[in-house]
Parts: sequence; structure tokens; C-alpha cells
Amino acid sequence: MQILLKKVLVKNITSSNNDAVVDLLINNGIIDIIDSNILADADYVIEESKLICSIGWVDIFSNFCSPGFEHRETLESGAAAAIAGGFTQVFVLPNTNPIISSQSQVNYIVEKSKELPIYIQAIGAISKKVEGVELAEMYEMNNAGAVAFTDGINAIQSASLFLKALQYVKSFDGIVIQMPIDAGFSKLGLMNEGIVSTQLGLPGIPVFAETLMVKRDIELLKYTQSKLHITGISTIESVNLIDDAKKQGLNITCSITPYHLLFCDEDLIEYDTNLKTNPPLRSKTEMLSLRQAVLDGKIDCIASHHLPHHIDDKICEFEYAKNGMMGLQTVYTSINTALPELSTEKLIDLLSNNARRIFNLPIPKIEVGAIAELTLFSREGTSTLTKENNKSKSVNSPLFDKLQKGKVIGVITKGKLLLN
Amino acid sequence: MKLSTKHLLGIKNLQKEDIETILLTAKQFKDVLQRPIKKVPSLRDVTIVNLFYENSTRTRISFELAEKRLSADTINFTVSGSSAAKGETLLDTVNNILSMKVDMVVMRHSASGAPHFLAKHIPAAIINAGDGVNEHPTQALLDAYSMTEKFGSLQGLNVALVGDIMHSRVALSNIYLLKKMGANVTVIGPPTLIPKYIKEAFDINVEYDIKKGLQWCDVANVLRIQLERQNQPLFSSLREYNMSYGVTKNLLESLGKEITIMHPGPINRGVELDSDVADGSQSIILNQVENGVAVRMACLYLLSDKG
Repeated sequence: MQILLKKVLVKNITSSNNDAVVDLLINNGIIDIIDSNILADADYVIEESKLICSIGWVDIFSNFCSPGFEHRETLESGAAAAIAGGFTQVFVLPNTNPIISSQSQVNYIVEKSKELPIYIQAIGAISKKVEGVELAEMYEMNNAGAVAFTDGINAIQSASLFLKALQYVKSFDGIVIQMPIDAGFSKLGLMNEGIVSTQLGLPGIPVFAETLMVKRDIELLKYTQSKLHITGISTIESVNLIDDAKKQGLNITCSITPYHLLFCDEDLIEYDTNLKTNPPLRSKTEMLSLRQAVLDGKIDCIASHHLPHHIDDKICEFEYAKNGMMGLQTVYTSINTALPELSTEKLIDLLSNNARRIFNLPIPKIEVGAIAELTLFSREGTSTLTKENNKSKSVNSPLFDKLQKGKVIGVITKGKLLLN
Repeated sequence: MKLSTKHLLGIKNLQKEDIETILLTAKQFKDVLQRPIKKVPSLRDVTIVNLFYENSTRTRISFELAEKRLSADTINFTVSGSSAAKGETLLDTVNNILSMKVDMVVMRHSASGAPHFLAKHIPAAIINAGDGVNEHPTQALLDAYSMTEKFGSLQGLNVALVGDIMHSRVALSNIYLLKKMGANVTVIGPPTLIPKYIKEAFDINVEYDIKKGLQWCDVANVLRIQLERQNQPLFSSLREYNMSYGVTKNLLESLGKEITIMHPGPINRGVELDSDVADGSQSIILNQVENGVAVRMACLYLLSDKG
């Protein structure tokens, strides 16, 4: 199959074609010709105003709910949402049923990924049944192809178990992902503790429920000299703690969700259950500080925290609603809307390059002869998530029918053009 | 007379003029309640469901009496003995009830925001009879009515809310109402029972020294210790609470001034309020209960399309 991209701006810092507006001819999944004007009778010709092409984007924290919760999402529907969001690789959480905590469970994801149009990578559980009590068989899961280890939406509460996990993964140069929140405090709250929670009569989750655990994990990382990625940070204090730890030479990185950059606790004034998340949406000051932290390069990746839920788990009283929102399809447009001033280079670092570096994935080049794993997008124009174009099986997003900046045109991966 | 809102979800959503209208209408209904025949036909073709997902005695009886005094048809729903115990969702339950041509819903629920959720999904008018630790608007309105009856106006009145502020929906509704009506508010209680951001959230005073707080106020609305909503230890013992924050006769006598005592009920006698204070001459607690019926009649009448 031949695909011809016309007048595309190449954004690939390691490529000699970086920042050039060129034509690209892709032949059976390989970049065949890069030239100022290619005249070829290709099967597909993409010509779009202000088209940008980068290496394929990577999402490092999504729940595809399979196996076990296929009424919320399947690997197929999750992959379709990822494609619509511009992703060619997605790391899926182990919070499934059964939990991905053994070699055979990782094998299941690896084998299913082969049939899917994009790459799906399994993140193995740190603890058996993600209960935070006993270590899972991480060594075997690593051999089977697990890309990293986390208990996903359940932060590891026991310091001693987390210490063991950090030590354990060193034997195979693995990396641990933690979404830090102290359950002792988070279980008592429903949203950020602050002026808005007081006015709404909802119990709050203080900022220190997160920062206490970030501090603890940094201490454990110092001791173990292992590799740690902290995801879903919701407060600038966590960013600063992680930044200081980086300056001390620790192997620590971090990611943030798009919704912590787009929404704040003031948006909960109508008790919108789609905005009930863990960690919770923080104050407007925090949201603006986090945006600045992204601009300052203190955040390594954007992680979707795509958590699809059945409609009945969201159309209910706020207290009973489940935490989390789906969002793979709207990651890029949310970032582009929250931070239109973010440079395209930094955007691609946040959505692809950094994740590939942190998790040891190949970083393809946009050069003649290279395998084409590309995302095609535009920073101009607009997109709107609608019931019609939603690819997920779930609908728990506050972004339906909201106009957002920019658009994803499609991806090219595994030899195929997958258009939006 | 009409209110600016279709539902009574909380005092937060009311305009000052709405509050004045409700209090004025309540005065007229209180006059009705003094007559030999304490009933008017105002809502005789209106059906109201009282949905109580949480235990209640006085609020439920007060609403039911208000509905009967207005000649409305009423049905009662309590969580035990209903399909909610079998796992039916709130929305399903309410939609089922509404299909039977019910016009208004009075709801108490343990989850903050439950009536707001319902308001987004059903066409009937909703009156919040208490949601979690958020609001209890008719209690604040009857408290306001009782204070206005005693002092003439709320403007410039110094009102202290004493005790378990953190778990009290009465506190939040009272704060919203008193601030809108120009009163000065101080919350008094142990730091573990006062939300950290309450001062900034409402522009009110916080006082941990009960004697100092009571010396400042004209009215002390003493709140019930909500032991059932405390999911962690917040004070050492009821005995120590009474010693440090209980409103006792000795404490009142030491103030050097006479203040009015209120309580939304039910009282934990010997904990937040001693019996001789609750039953004493400074207390207007039973007036609050009496006014509750008139205030609820006003709310029901104004929110029905008869108002």
C-alpha cells in the first residue's frame, strides 16, 4: 500500500528533515521518498492545511478494562479511541479481572496486541491482586514483555512493599509507576479539600494526601537507586519535589493528566460526576501552576488516565459515582486547548519522545528507509467529541460537544493508514 | 409571588428576595395555624412524595403536616421497605414514582448533591430536606423565621453556630442565609469539627474559645454532634466534649449578658446542650419546631405553580 503525504511539516528533532515542509511517500509501511514535491499514483493521498507529522504518540496509563470489564471497554474499542486520539502505542493498566499479575496475563495482552491496528503494551501489577500486600511475579512478567509495573489506580500504601518493589525491578532494569495518594486520607474525601469543597458540603482530600506519598517514594528511591515514574500528579508541590529529586540525580520522572490542566475544583459546582477523579481536580491556582510547570519542562509526559466507566456508575449521586474519566481521544485537543502557547517540539516530547525514552521503546526517525510509525495532526482547526465520533464503549467524559482546539488527522502504523 | 428558582436545592441558590418572600409567606401560614381550622385548600390537586433515604423524625413529620395543612395528597417513601434496599437506583425510583403523576418531591438523602443530581434528570419541583453534609435549607429558613420573630430583623445580628460544624448541613444553610441577610456569623467548636477553609469560603469568623464566642453573639444556634457521620475519631469522649464545648447553665451565667439559644434537634442532652439550658427561658427551640410547619408550607406553596 502506498500513502502520499503532501506538504507536511516534519517535527522530528533527530531527523535531517526536521522543520521541513515536504512530501512523504510511504510504501508498505516504510518511508520510501521524502522530497519537496512527489508525483506518485499512491493508494491514499493526504493533503491537509497545516498538516504536521511526528513519530507516533504513546499513552502510558490507560485502562482498557479487558479482560473482565468488556462492557466498559475492550482492547479493540480502546485501540480505536487511541487511534482517534493520535496514539500508536498505549500502555494498559493491570486493573482488570483477572488482574494482570502473571506471565500468562501479560501474554494475553501481547498476543491480542498483534491482532490490533496499534501497539498495546501491558503494565504488570506490582502486587498480587493489586492489593498491596505481596509482590506479584514481576520477573516473569518482564520476560513476557511487560513494559513497566504499577498497581494502577491503587497506589501502594505500604512503604515496605513499595521499597521491595523498587529493589525487585532493579534485577531486570525495570521501572515502577506510582499514582501517589494516601488512601487513609483519600477514602475520607470526594474532591479537593478547599474553599469549593467547603461550599459544596463535600468532604475534601487534602493536597498532602499526595505530597506525603511523593516525599515517601522519593526517600525510598534514594535508598534503592531504582527507577520510578510518578503519574497523575495534581499539585505543584509534587512537581517541585520531583524536580528537586531529579536535580539530586535520582532516576525519577513524572506525568500529568490532560484534565488536571483543563479543569479545576470550581468546575464541580454542579456536582458533575464526570469530573470526579482520583487524584481530584485541585484549585484553579494549582491548575494554572501545573500548566506553567508543563511549559517550563518540569513534566515529562502527558498520561491520559483513560478510565472508562459504565453509564450507571456516573449517572448517580456524586458520592456513589466512580472516579475517573475516559479521555484517550481528547488528550491532544485538551492540551492544545489548555496550552495553545506550548511549542510543537515540547508537545511531541510530552506525547511521545519522553515516554519512549523513559520506558525504553524504540524512537523511530522520520527518514527514508525508516519504518513509518507516525501521527498526523494540526494545531489549527477545531475538534469536538460527539456521541457519533466517540470510539470508546463508554461515555464518561465532560468533553462531549465541547469545542477544542486542533485536530488529529490520523496515524500510520503497522503498515496501515488509520484516518480519523 | 414567585421564587427565582424552580427547586429549593439550597440557600446557596436563593436570592435575598426569595428568602424575604418565603419568610413573608410563612408569616401568613403561621396565622392560618393559629385558627381553629388549621387547613387551607391551596394544594388540593397537588401530589407530593416525601422521599426519605435517611432517618428523620421532625423534618419528615413537619413536611407531612405542612402538606396536609395545604390539602395536598402525600405519599411517603422511606429507604427501609422500599425497592432501594433491593438495589434500585435513585433515578429509577423517582422516575417510577413520577410516572404515577406526582407533582413535587421532598427528598432527604445521605449524599451531598443528591437533590441537585435529581433536578438535572426529572421535571418535578424538588425540595431538599437535607443532603449529606451540604444543605438543609428549610431548617435555615425556619431558624431565620424564628430569629426574625424574636429580633425583628437579621441585619446586623450576631449569630454563633456552635459545635459540629464539619458534619452539619444546618450550619452550611444557616451560613449562606445569614450572610445573604446581613447578619454576622461566627462558628465555634473544636478545630477537628470545623472545616479548614470555612473562613475563606464564607467570609465568617472562627472561634475555638466557646466563652469568647458566646460573649460576642446575640444568638447561639447549638448544633447536634453528628456521631453517625463521623468516620474517624474527632474528639476523645462525649464527657470531655461537654466539658469543653457543651453549652451549660454555668457557662451562660458567666457571660454577663443574655443570649438566645437555638438547636435544630434532636438534642444530645448533656453533650452539646444541658437540659436546663434547652428547657430554660433563653431557649426558643420549641418555637423553631412550630415555625417549621409554617415555613415548609410557604416553600411548598411557592414552589408549586399555585404560588
